[in-house]
Amino acid sequence: MLKNYFKIAIAVLKRRKFFTFISLFGISFTLTILMVTTAFLDKIFSPNYPDLKRNRSLYVTTVLLKNSKEGWMNRSPASFYLLDKYISTLKVPAKIAISSFSAATNTYVNNKKIIIEFKYTNADFWDILDYQFLEGKPFNKKQIDQAAHVAVISEDTKKAYFGDAATVIGKSIEADNVNYKVIGVVKNVPRTMTNIYGDMYLPYTVSKANYKEPGLMGDYNAILLAGSDADVPKMKQEFNQMIAKVPINNKEFDQFYCSADGYFEGIAREIAGRDDGSSGVVKLISILSLLAFLFLLLPTINLVNINMTRIMERSSEIGVRKAFGASSRTLVYQFIVENIILTFIGGAIGIILSVIVIYYLNTLNLVPNLNLSLNLAVLGYTLIACLFFGLLSGVYPAWRMSRLNVVTALKAN
Amino acid sequence: MLKHLFILIWNKRKQNFLFLSELLVSFLVIFAVFSFLVYYFQNYKKPLGFEYEKVWSIHFTNSVKIKNMDSLSMYYDNLRKTLKSLPQIEKVSFSGANIPYSNNNSTTGLTNNGKKYNRINNYRVENEYKDLWKMKLVEGRWYNEQDITSTYIPMVINESLKEEMFGKGPATGKLIGSLEDKIKWKVIGVTADMKANGDFYPAGPAIYAKVDTSAYRWMRNALIKVSPGADAAFESRLYKLLSGTLKNSNIEITHLTDMRKSKNEATIIPMIIFMIIAGFLMINVALGLFGVLWYNINKRRSEIGLRRAIGAGGKSVSYQLVYESLILATMSLTAGCFFAIQFPLLNVFDIPASVYLTAILLAMIFIYMLVFLCSLYPGKQAAAIHPAIALHEE
Repeated sequence: MLKNYFKIAIAVLKRRKFFTFISLFGISFTLTILMVTTAFLDKIFSPNYPDLKRNRSLYVTTVLLKNSKEGWMNRSPASFYLLDKYISTLKVPAKIAISSFSAATNTYVNNKKIIIEFKYTNADFWDILDYQFLEGKPFNKKQIDQAAHVAVISEDTKKAYFGDAATVIGKSIEADNVNYKVIGVVKNVPRTMTNIYGDMYLPYTVSKANYKEPGLMGDYNAILLAGSDADVPKMKQEFNQMIAKVPINNKEFDQFYCSADGYFEGIAREIAGRDDGSSGVVKLISILSLLAFLFLLLPTINLVNINMTRIMERSSEIGVRKAFGASSRTLVYQFIVENIILTFIGGAIGIILSVIVIYYLNTLNLVPNLNLSLNLAVLGYTLIACLFFGLLSGVYPAWRMSRLNVVTALKAN
Repeated sequence: MLKHLFILIWNKRKQNFLFLSELLVSFLVIFAVFSFLVYYFQNYKKPLGFEYEKVWSIHFTNSVKIKNMDSLSMYYDNLRKTLKSLPQIEKVSFSGANIPYSNNNSTTGLTNNGKKYNRINNYRVENEYKDLWKMKLVEGRWYNEQDITSTYIPMVINESLKEEMFGKGPATGKLIGSLEDKIKWKVIGVTADMKANGDFYPAGPAIYAKVDTSAYRWMRNALIKVSPGADAAFESRLYKLLSGTLKNSNIEITHLTDMRKSKNEATIIPMIIFMIIAGFLMINVALGLFGVLWYNINKRRSEIGLRRAIGAGGKSVSYQLVYESLILATMSLTAGCFFAIQFPLLNVFDIPASVYLTAILLAMIFIYMLVFLCSLYPGKQAAAIHPAIALHEE
């Protein structure tokens, strides 16, 4: 039966080439946009190099201090003091990475300016994150304790600073007027991972600022790694208990919020979180779905419109089939299958188009080091989108068709 | 004639429902695109109000350990002297983090005659700030060395703030209040608006507050205007000099031309993506409309044939079809305008009503053009229908 439907669908598509073109254009274009957006979101939200252990990690990025009487509020990254003195005493996390958000500085090579974003890290940072070392190795706890002037640099920095040198281990690199010895070169990290991005990684002990200064606000963030997936809720609970115990020690503020979030939760909090410390997950998801719905609305109406036209054109066929006893359900079923076949052809074209668009976007390099790719997950989402789109645009015309009166349908012929 | 066409359409309202809703949604999409474009264009047309060429920003993290105010002020005076001693540097002014084209902003609230004004940009400036940017004064004067002796704290505001607070009249000499009216400032000058957020955003109300000793703790930037001879070699030397002077700071030198470029790109790139998507949607809609209209004509062959047979000319038949689609468009647009007009009425996003009204007008013209073009060819097809053949089919 399905084979028959397939044959009919192809025959119908061939009959009215102009309509087929319009439908396919609409479907493939819509799916291309959806696919590129999904590829982008997938790159941001699912575990990617070098942050591969997201399932059992919690991220601490911001602290929020509030004066409930005057309505003042101050949002900032956490201080090293807070992370080191309170958070690193937690029992559940297996490891805790502490690093500063990257800050830009200049260095000059042969009077050419290079902008280097450097960040300070602890030793656990290298264990939690799976950086790929092209050469050399990370700095260890001993080097940090000695405040050794050593640096791990990114591939891009190596190229900008040393040119095409084969190996740079042991060479010295100058940034912010200080000389560091290069001990490792890592693969570039996408700019979207703001909490771990850097061109140059240094031990926190060489920081020019006084990182030991007490206070809750600073430039640091932390990643807490649980031993297993199951430990994550326990880790979160322990974190919250600890935060409740942290004294504010600041006359200007009376309320203090700080949370350890999963990756998505953390981003949602940053975009849509509210001042009372609640995360914006629901809000962000509803905003994204609303945008997707609005975007899909126009192509869907268009497709429904075209489908209606196609069906009405085939009223004689429908009339004959009904007259010979086909039930409405069979007809609706047939039409939806036809429509899904059409959507899948459109989807196939959409995949080709997305590959081209993604290739082009990658060469443009709008976001540094963010290489979009179509992987199985993205293709899976696309398949779901195809089905959804096909059903959405097929159901209403099919319903209208099934209600067609046999007599009028036959007479229209 | 129009009434007759209207009745024809009304009789087929069920069939036309999808057509109408498609036009309605298209109108809203186009309205959104034009709102952005008109808003950006209106701001783009306004004068920039300052010159950014050859201005560099020296950003430093503030890790000075000096607690004493006097020694702190001396520290910055020394830094200023060091910078000024270089022949390539023409002007120097310290500022907070919110320099033009930066991603930082600092706002404050003010009161005047008991009315509160919020979200006023607060720029921290020094005596040379005005000449460094080549800002223009509309009235009054800029800060000078004698300001310390006056009873009220002197304050320079921009034209937007002046218009909000004092309307068309002069502002110089008037008092404005800060911190719930606890502190009084005296306006000494009004500058022309300075589009500090990029070419596509308005300047917004602003005050230019002179840096006093207590504000030295918040200093994050030194702005310098360099002579045309200042090159990369000079920048590299300057960097070395600064790292020697500001021992515990991380330093970054940025050119304002680069900052301006990235600030403008942050507006332009999303807009281009948005326009490409909207453009494809419109092509999609245009093809769809074209197809539906074409099909409708085929369905109405007998009707058209009959009209031709009783004497209607080819032209009048094709006009009829074009008119019909334009009436359909009008029905959609009426509904669309009802939604769109809510934006200026409710003052959504605090954007001038003229932006929305222009956008509504442009979007209406766009939809009419789209429908007109899409119905032109099907109309022509209809005119070509031969009455004898059409009626024979029946």
